[in-house]
Amino acid sequence: MSVSQLLPLIVLLPLIGAFINGTLGKNLSKTIVGTIATGVMLVSFILATMAFMGVQHGKPVTAHLFTMIQTESFSLHARLYADNLSMWMTMIVTGVGTLIHLFSMGYMKHDAGYYKFFVYLNLFIFAMLVLVLGSNYFMLFFGWEGVGICSYLLIGFWYQDFKNTLAARKAFIMNRIGDLGLLIGLFLILGKFGTLEYAEVAKAVMAKGFEISECLIFGITICLFIGATGKSAQIPLFTWLPDAMAGPTPVSALIHAATMVTAGIFLTVRSSYLFEHAELTKEIMLYIGLATSIVAAFIAMRQNDIKKVLAYSTVSQLGMLFVALGMGAYTAAMFHVTTHAFFKALLFLGSGSVIHAMSDEQDIRKMGGLRKKIPITHFTFLIGTLAISGIPLLSGFYSKDEIIGHAFESHKFVYFALMFSSALTAIYMFRLYFVTFFGTFRGTHEQEHHVHEGPASMTLPLIILAVLSVFGGLLNLPGVFLHNGTHWLSHHYAQNVDGLMTPVEHGDPNTTLMLMVAAGAMAVIIAIVTYIVYVKKNSVPVADEQLKGWEKASAMKLYFDEIYDFLFVKPTLWLSEKGAHYFEGAFLHRSVVGLGKTIGKSGDLIRKIQTGRTDNYILWMVFGIIGLIVYYIIYYKN
Amino acid sequence: MEVLLFILPVFFALSVLIIPKQGVRAYGIIGSLAVLVVVIACMMQYNNDGTMHLFMQKPWFYGITLSFGYDGISLLMLLLTAVLVPLILVSNFKNELAENRLFTSMVFFMQLGLIGVFISMDGLWFYVFWEITLIPIFLISWWFGAPERKAALTKFFIYTFVGSLAMLAALIGIKVNAPTFFIEDLKAVVFTGKTACWLALGFFLAFAIKIPVFPFHTWQPDTYTKSPMAGTMLLSGIMLKMALYGMIRWMLPLFPEAIHCLQYPVIILATIGVVYAAIIAVKQKDIKRVFAFASMSHVGLIAAAIMTCNFDALSGSMVQILNHGLVAVGLFLAVEIIERRTGTRNLDELGGFAKQAPKFAFWFAALAFASVSVPLTSGFIGEFLMLKGLVGFDMVVGIVAGTTLILGAVYTFRAYQLSMYGPVTRDHFADLHWSELIVLALIIIAVVIFGVYPAAITDFVNPSIKVVLETLSTPSGL
Repeated sequence: MSVSQLLPLIVLLPLIGAFINGTLGKNLSKTIVGTIATGVMLVSFILATMAFMGVQHGKPVTAHLFTMIQTESFSLHARLYADNLSMWMTMIVTGVGTLIHLFSMGYMKHDAGYYKFFVYLNLFIFAMLVLVLGSNYFMLFFGWEGVGICSYLLIGFWYQDFKNTLAARKAFIMNRIGDLGLLIGLFLILGKFGTLEYAEVAKAVMAKGFEISECLIFGITICLFIGATGKSAQIPLFTWLPDAMAGPTPVSALIHAATMVTAGIFLTVRSSYLFEHAELTKEIMLYIGLATSIVAAFIAMRQNDIKKVLAYSTVSQLGMLFVALGMGAYTAAMFHVTTHAFFKALLFLGSGSVIHAMSDEQDIRKMGGLRKKIPITHFTFLIGTLAISGIPLLSGFYSKDEIIGHAFESHKFVYFALMFSSALTAIYMFRLYFVTFFGTFRGTHEQEHHVHEGPASMTLPLIILAVLSVFGGLLNLPGVFLHNGTHWLSHHYAQNVDGLMTPVEHGDPNTTLMLMVAAGAMAVIIAIVTYIVYVKKNSVPVADEQLKGWEKASAMKLYFDEIYDFLFVKPTLWLSEKGAHYFEGAFLHRSVVGLGKTIGKSGDLIRKIQTGRTDNYILWMVFGIIGLIVYYIIYYKN
Repeated sequence: MEVLLFILPVFFALSVLIIPKQGVRAYGIIGSLAVLVVVIACMMQYNNDGTMHLFMQKPWFYGITLSFGYDGISLLMLLLTAVLVPLILVSNFKNELAENRLFTSMVFFMQLGLIGVFISMDGLWFYVFWEITLIPIFLISWWFGAPERKAALTKFFIYTFVGSLAMLAALIGIKVNAPTFFIEDLKAVVFTGKTACWLALGFFLAFAIKIPVFPFHTWQPDTYTKSPMAGTMLLSGIMLKMALYGMIRWMLPLFPEAIHCLQYPVIILATIGVVYAAIIAVKQKDIKRVFAFASMSHVGLIAAAIMTCNFDALSGSMVQILNHGLVAVGLFLAVEIIERRTGTRNLDELGGFAKQAPKFAFWFAALAFASVSVPLTSGFIGEFLMLKGLVGFDMVVGIVAGTTLILGAVYTFRAYQLSMYGPVTRDHFADLHWSELIVLALIIIAVVIFGVYPAAITDFVNPSIKVVLETLSTPSGL
C-alpha cells in the first residue's frame, strides 16, 4: 500500500475501535473490549511505521479525503499530510498510545466504566492523529478541539465526585481561551495567504521576495502562541493541568504528559517558517517558557501528591520546550518532546502502578519503603527519575543538554535560568523518588498487606518505556564522541519538513563537552544530597500547615488559583448575578413596562380632551382655525 | 406541486380536528412527514443556480401580487421547518398534549405561516404570513403554557405586534413609489440615504424584536420559560429564524443604501447581545432560562454576521441557522425530559442523573458539545465562517463576539454538570423513552453529518447568497 492509502487507515482505526466499543462494549467482556481498543492501536502503530518508512527519504505525501467548504475566497479540505515531522508525532502518539492502552487494561480492570474509558481513549487518539496528520490549520483545529473534548471527558471520568467535573470544566474553558486565540490566528492566516494548507503557506513564506507587515506577522504568530499556551499549559493558562490529574492515571500519562500537551510545540514547529519572521513573538515565547519552567518547578518542590509533582514537572518541561522554540531550536524541542514522552509516560504509569499498589493512595507522605515490595515499578520509576533529572547517558540528559547548549550560545542569562530550573527538577524528582520508595512504610496496615505488583499488562509497558527512556538519547546524539550517526533526528527532519531544512549546526565540541560535564555533575550532586536528606536522615515532608516562607508558597501553588478566582471568576459571576438582577430584571424590564404605561397615560390624556362639552370643542375649533391662518400667512409670506 | 406546501398544512390543521383522540399523535406525525416529502421534492427539482424559482406569479389587486417562489435560501428554511415540525411532534409524544386536537391543529397552522413566510415573494404576503405565525404560537402558549404565563405572553404579543406595525409602515412607505409589492419591483425603488435608513429601521425593529437583538429581548426568557415545550421549540427553533431570513431576503436587498447607517449599530448591538446573554446565562438557576439566554447569544451572532454582508459570514449564518434550529430543539427537549421526570428545572435541586440514565447523559452531552460548537458539529462550521466574516469586518468586534466560544462553554457545562453529575438527588430517574431517543439521535446525527460535510449546506445556498450580495453591491438596487 502506498503512504497516501495508509494515512486514512492510521487515523480511522482508532475511530473504528471507539465505535465498536461504544456501541457494543457494554455487552462485551472486559478482556475483549480492552483487546479491541489496544489492538486497533497496535495495528495503527504498525501502519504508521510502514508509512514512516515510506515517506522518510522522499517528498511529503498528501492524501485528499474530501472538500469541506468551498466559498469564493477560499476552500477548506479534509486532507492528511505526511512528512517526517507529522509521521514522527504519529509514531509517538500511536506507539506510546498503544503502551498506555495496554497498561489501562490492567489498571482500569475493576472500574465500572471500563468500556467507556477505552472509547474515550480511542477517540482521543483519533483526534490527536487528526491534529498531527492534518494537512492544514483547519484540520489541526479540528484535532485541537477534539483532544480538548476527550481530555474533558477523561478528566471528569469519575463524575460522581463533583470536584473532578469541576476540574474537567476548568480544563475545557482554559483551553477554549487558547482556542479563541488560535482561531483568530487562523483567520489572519486565511486573510493574508488565502489558504490554510501548510504546504502552500510555507511556499508563500519561503518564496523569494516575501513581504509581510511586522504587525501582521506578530499578530499571526502571537495568536498561534496563545493557542499553544492553552493546550501546552503555559503561563498564564497553565493552572488547568495540575487539576487535570483528577482523571485516571493512564489518562494523565497519555494526554497530560506524552501527547496532547505537546500539541502546542507541534504547532509552533509546524509553523516555524512563520515564527522565523517574528522575532518579537519568539522573544515573548522564550521568556514565557522560562517563567513557566521555573514557576512550575518551584511549585513542584513542596507538592506531596505523587501525580501533582509529575504534573508540575510536565508544565516545567513544557516551559523548557518553549524556551527552545523561542531560541529557534526546533529540532532540539522535538527531540526533547520525544524523550519527554518516553520518560514522563513512564513516570506517570509508574505512579499509576504505585497508586494501584497502594489502594488509591496518592500522598507520598503515606507511602515509603515501596522499593522491595514492587521491584519492577521501583526500578522503572528510578530510570524515569534519572532520565528526567539529566543523569548522564540517559535520554533526558541529551535532549535537555541540547536545549541548554543552545541557550549557552545565544542567551547566557537564559542558560543560567535553565540550569536553575533543571536543578529544581532534579531536587523534586529525587525527593519524590526517595520519599516514595525508601524509608519505612507509612500507610495503613491494610494497605501494607495489600501492596502488590500489577499484572503483566501493567509491567510490560513500564519495561518498554524504561528501555526507551534509557536509549532514546541515541536519536540525536551530539557530535562530541562520534562523527557518524550523530544528530540523526535533525537530519531526518531536514529531509522534507518545511522550515526545518537548514543544515544542522554542530556546536564547538569542547564547549558542548564542558556543558555536558557541568550539567551531569550537577544532577549527580543533587542526587547524592537528596539521598542524604531523605534516606540517610529519613526526613518525611511535614503537613502543609507547618510550612513557612517559600515552602508555604510552593505548597500553596503560588496562589495562582486564588488570584485567578479573584481576577476573573468572581467578577464574571458577579456580573452575571447583578446583571440579571439589576440590568435585566430591574432596568430593562422597568423601561419596557414604563414605555407601555406611558403609552397608556398618553391615551388617558387624549381621552380627557374628549370632554363631550360643545363649548370646549368650539374653543378647540377656534384655536385650530387661528393656527391654520397663521400657518397660511407664514407659508405664503416666505 | 408546490401548492401542496400550502394545501397540506391547511388540510391537516383542519382534518385533525375531527380525528379520534387516540389517532391524533400518529396523524400529526404523518402529516408533518408528508410536508417534509413535498419540501424534499422541491429541493430535488431546484436547479441550484441561485435564481428565484417562482412557481406562481400573477397580479391580484391593488398592487398586491400572488408571487410565491423559492431559491436556495428559502429552501433551506423550508427544510428546517419541515424537519423540525415532525421532530417537535415526536418529542411531544409522551405529553398529554400530543393527544390534543387543537394543539396539533395549531402546530400545522404555525407551519403554514412559516412556510408562507419563506416562500412569499410579495411584500404584503410576507407580512401577512409573518403575522399569521403569531396567532398559533400565542394560542399554544396561552392555552397550554405554565400557570403564570399570562403577563409574559401579553408582553410577548404587544412587543412583536409593535415590531410588525413598524414593518408594515415601512412596507407601505416603499410601495408608494413602486407599482406592486412584488419583491423585484420593491428592489427597483431607489431611496436616498435618510429615507432608506428610516424604512430599513422599520424592518429592523420587527426583526430585532423577533430574533431578539439586545435590548429588545426582554419578552424572550419569560415567554420561553412559560410556554409549553413545543411552543418554546417552535419559537426558538424556527420562528426567530423568520427574522434572520427576513434580514437576508428583504431588509438588505430592499435598502442597500441603508447598510451604511445600520451596519455598525446593528452589529454592535448584536455583539453586545452575544456577550450579554452569555454572561447572564452563567448564573441562571432555571435550566430552561440558561438555554433561553444561550439561544439569544447564538442568534445574536448570526444577526451580526448577516449584517457584515460578507459572503463567508452569510454562508456561515445559513449553516448556523440550521444548526441552531436543531440544537435548540434538542436542548429544550433535554430540559423537558428533566422537568417531566423531576417536576423541577431548578439546577440547585438537580444532579446525579448520569448514573441513572446513561443514555440520556450521553445524548445530552453530545448536544451540549454541539451547542458550544465543537468541531465535527455543524455549529463549528457556522461559527467559524461567521467569526471569520466578523474578524474581517472589524478585529475588535470579531474578538468580542468570539468570546462566545469561552462563555458558551462556561454556561453550557455548568448547566450540564449541575444537572447530570454530582451526588444522586432522585431515587428514580427513567432513561430515555424511544420517542425521546429518536429525536436526540436524529438531531445529533444531522449535526455531525453537516459538521463533517458542510458542503452539503453551503453548496446549496451559496449561489443564492451570491445573488443576494450582487443586489447589494449595485447601488441602484437592481
